[in-house]
Amino acid sequence: MTKENNNHYDVIVIGGGITGAGTARDCAMRGLKVLLVERHDLSTGATGRNHGLMHSGARYAVTDHESATECIRENMILRKIARHCVEETDGLFITLPEDDLKFQSLFVQKCGEAGISAEIIDPQLAKVMEPAVNPNLIGAVKVPDASVDPFRLTMANVLDAQLHGAETLIYHEVIDVLIEQNRVIGVKLRNNHNGETINAYASVTINAAGIWGTLIAKMAGVKINMFPAKGSLLIFGHRVNHMVINRCRKPANADILVPDDAVCVIGTTSDRVPIETCDDMRVTPEEVEVLLAEGMKLAPSLGTTRILRAYAGVRPLVASDDDPSGRSISRGIVTLDHEKRDGLAGFITITGGKMMTYRLMAEEVTNLACEKLGLTKKCETATTPLPGSEPKEETKKYSFSQKAAQGRHGTLNESVDRGDVSSDALVCECEGVSVGEVRYAVTKLHVHNLINLRRRTRVGMGTCQGELCACRAAGVMCSDDKGAQKAINDLSGFMNERWKGMQPVAWGDNLAEAQLTAKIYQGLLGVDRLANERRVEYYEI
Amino acid sequence: MKFDIIIIGGGLSGLTAGIALAEAGKDVALVSAGQSTLHFTGGTLDLLGCDEQGNYVQKPLEAIETLNSKHPYKKLENVSSLAGVAKKLLERAGIATTGNETSNHWRITPIGGLMPTWLSMEGMSTVEEPNQMPWRKVALVNIINYLDLPTKFLAAGLREKGVEVDVKTVTLPELKELRQSPTEMRSTNIAKVIENNDLIAKLADEVNGVASEGYDMVLLPAVLGVTNGDKSQQLLKLINAPATYVATLPPSVPGVRMQTLLRKRFNALGGTFFTGDQVVEGIFDGNTLKGVKTAKLEDTVLEADNFILATGSFVSRGLVADYNHVYEPALGVDVDDLGLDRKTWAKIDVTEAQPYMEMGVKTDSELHCLCNGAAVNNLYAAGSILNGHNSIKLLDGAGVDMLTALQVVNNIMK
Repeated sequence: MTKENNNHYDVIVIGGGITGAGTARDCAMRGLKVLLVERHDLSTGATGRNHGLMHSGARYAVTDHESATECIRENMILRKIARHCVEETDGLFITLPEDDLKFQSLFVQKCGEAGISAEIIDPQLAKVMEPAVNPNLIGAVKVPDASVDPFRLTMANVLDAQLHGAETLIYHEVIDVLIEQNRVIGVKLRNNHNGETINAYASVTINAAGIWGTLIAKMAGVKINMFPAKGSLLIFGHRVNHMVINRCRKPANADILVPDDAVCVIGTTSDRVPIETCDDMRVTPEEVEVLLAEGMKLAPSLGTTRILRAYAGVRPLVASDDDPSGRSISRGIVTLDHEKRDGLAGFITITGGKMMTYRLMAEEVTNLACEKLGLTKKCETATTPLPGSEPKEETKKYSFSQKAAQGRHGTLNESVDRGDVSSDALVCECEGVSVGEVRYAVTKLHVHNLINLRRRTRVGMGTCQGELCACRAAGVMCSDDKGAQKAINDLSGFMNERWKGMQPVAWGDNLAEAQLTAKIYQGLLGVDRLANERRVEYYEI
Repeated sequence: MKFDIIIIGGGLSGLTAGIALAEAGKDVALVSAGQSTLHFTGGTLDLLGCDEQGNYVQKPLEAIETLNSKHPYKKLENVSSLAGVAKKLLERAGIATTGNETSNHWRITPIGGLMPTWLSMEGMSTVEEPNQMPWRKVALVNIINYLDLPTKFLAAGLREKGVEVDVKTVTLPELKELRQSPTEMRSTNIAKVIENNDLIAKLADEVNGVASEGYDMVLLPAVLGVTNGDKSQQLLKLINAPATYVATLPPSVPGVRMQTLLRKRFNALGGTFFTGDQVVEGIFDGNTLKGVKTAKLEDTVLEADNFILATGSFVSRGLVADYNHVYEPALGVDVDDLGLDRKTWAKIDVTEAQPYMEMGVKTDSELHCLCNGAAVNNLYAAGSILNGHNSIKLLDGAGVDMLTALQVVNNIMK
């Protein structure tokens, strides 16, 4: 990368969230030479901080027909191309005594217009189908909602981009946009691990940096009117519900409960926040109160279920150019051709939208990039399975950890070493992560630290929040004496990152668990005393 | 059922009180939920490892003088003599220890740090001076596939202190069974497999094979001897070089052993142990506790002249924090929540001193519990349930557990 002639690309994609990953994949599949850059880890921003809900579109049917139709179309596509990232749970839209049951018929009608199958069912049947649902419900509609693992989905897109020749640089932050004669010719990157800077050049630079895209645009001298909208969520310690539960009313706070893997997630709130705070989102006690109170209306047992952690993401909402006040904010996809809009060639911004519609966003922006580059190859991402979701082979007999890994990596599970004593040893009991899987993630999935590992394998995401597995995983990842100090710093940072999500909900069993963790990591091991460096990403992002 | 004394809580504090009272001829019953945080320690006991400024302490008795007045040690009549009594009580229970209260020595943490401590169980690896390692060349011998001794960290920590370290691994065919299921490869399971003398001899042969000569210390994971110390001592004797154990990640085999031996001692002295049960209600008559009811015994009231509450902190459910407040669930005695509301119980940075750590039950100067502000004249609190200290920052957990228990015993016997 240091040689100037080796670093010219057709396309540079800025942002390692789902939009950037999907865009890199699409561009690479059309034969473009692609560089994907991300300042931290993959899925660090809004991609890794949402419900993990695969919308049917029903939520938007009444208020936003366009989003609803996009959602259901993409929903059906993801079930095919991202099979190993999706769990087909279905969803309920329930009406409670305090809601207007008249909304239900409008809702069903609008779902029909958007092509979403919405079936009114007897509330009694709803209670049988989903025993966790509020028993006082007076109406229920079944829709094809599902849950999706955003970490897995992003990684699968990055892997496929790489298989098609794309290069990926994570922990590389854009610190300047290079412009020559009203044309963006590339970006200046800083390696956030060692501080070195490099330039990378491209015919087209695509800004897919989510809410941070506004800052990238600023570097390029153009203005995008963004409205950072903070959404807070709570994760519960086990899977209370097995269908997605929504409220059948206009979208409001904390009205979606999604089952994800072994846990469930309630959210979200929605509040406008200043852009400067987006790197360090913290959930406030008031938000916790709203989430709990509203969540219990969907599934009363949430009130007695342990909350594992609280977290928040920032939606990259965009106001249209002629509405600086932000009143007509859409959740639709926004593609900005800065050549047409601002007279700045070689620069495109893709933003707005939702995780659900990432593939469509990628398709739109790739179409535009191809047009600029004079390419006519058609998009194939809607029909080509992602790595891990290729057609099923015969089912083999698997152990617990193999099954868990199969769920996480799909057919790529075959690349995990197993069968020997050392590879099969279990690092994380909650999530069934083996030494072999850790090694696979380190060599193949861009893992530099424990937080990267968590996003790729779920280490430390279970009920114990990293009680023992974090130390074991750090031991496996550490290479030599020099690496040992780094790994201990990493371990210390990881425990703080886990605590960041536990602290806003530190009562009940969660507080007891936190005390035990402190007893082990600080009292027994002395991690805090041995660590000699605090990396900002563990404390703020 | 009527006893002289009923102790609620079967951890280090409750058992210490139970043994001391039974040794004095009292008829003692102990109600225990069954778990103990000893399982999460490392075969060592701390008296005071840090002062309030966070500096390591070499002379704990002197540093105790500097603690603030809320600390439970301030309710002890003679720290030094109680510490001596505690050490001897352990010894009579079959738990031999090195160390004393006048000067801390240093334990090796599972990731290669050194931390000050008061008493170390026999066979545990310790050093006298943190800046002067007593070994030139060490063999660190782990069991293949056992992930709960992070040998890379341990080796790096020792090398940083100037010790030459070779990391070796050994195994026994008998451990193959455990490996069939990866979740089984944990310390207490290994200890259960390597129980008989033949296997211990075979393991010693394996260790001697990889650490044959030139080592002035062989370090082994503390995974032998759940029920008594003989097995772990036997292995050390069979190893050609001097050999000691290092603590592992939990569960801690030495910790489980300590718990087991204390309980055995209590039983041998004629104490009554209600296990897997918990007190759910106290029956008060004015400022006197008449009896307690438990979850399992339903309507049977357990009566006694005196009661000791030693159910531990949040982790042991001796204290419970719900959405709005902190309470003591067994008897409902007064809790010191530092006057804080939930939003300020915990600080954002995990390494900061966390306010919730200092919460606990309120007691008067003789360690009587308070109920609605008034002392209950025959109910005492001991151990981690007491307010006024942060055991993670001060490294004083075991000392508070044992010494407050012994002080309560003295107060009862007066």
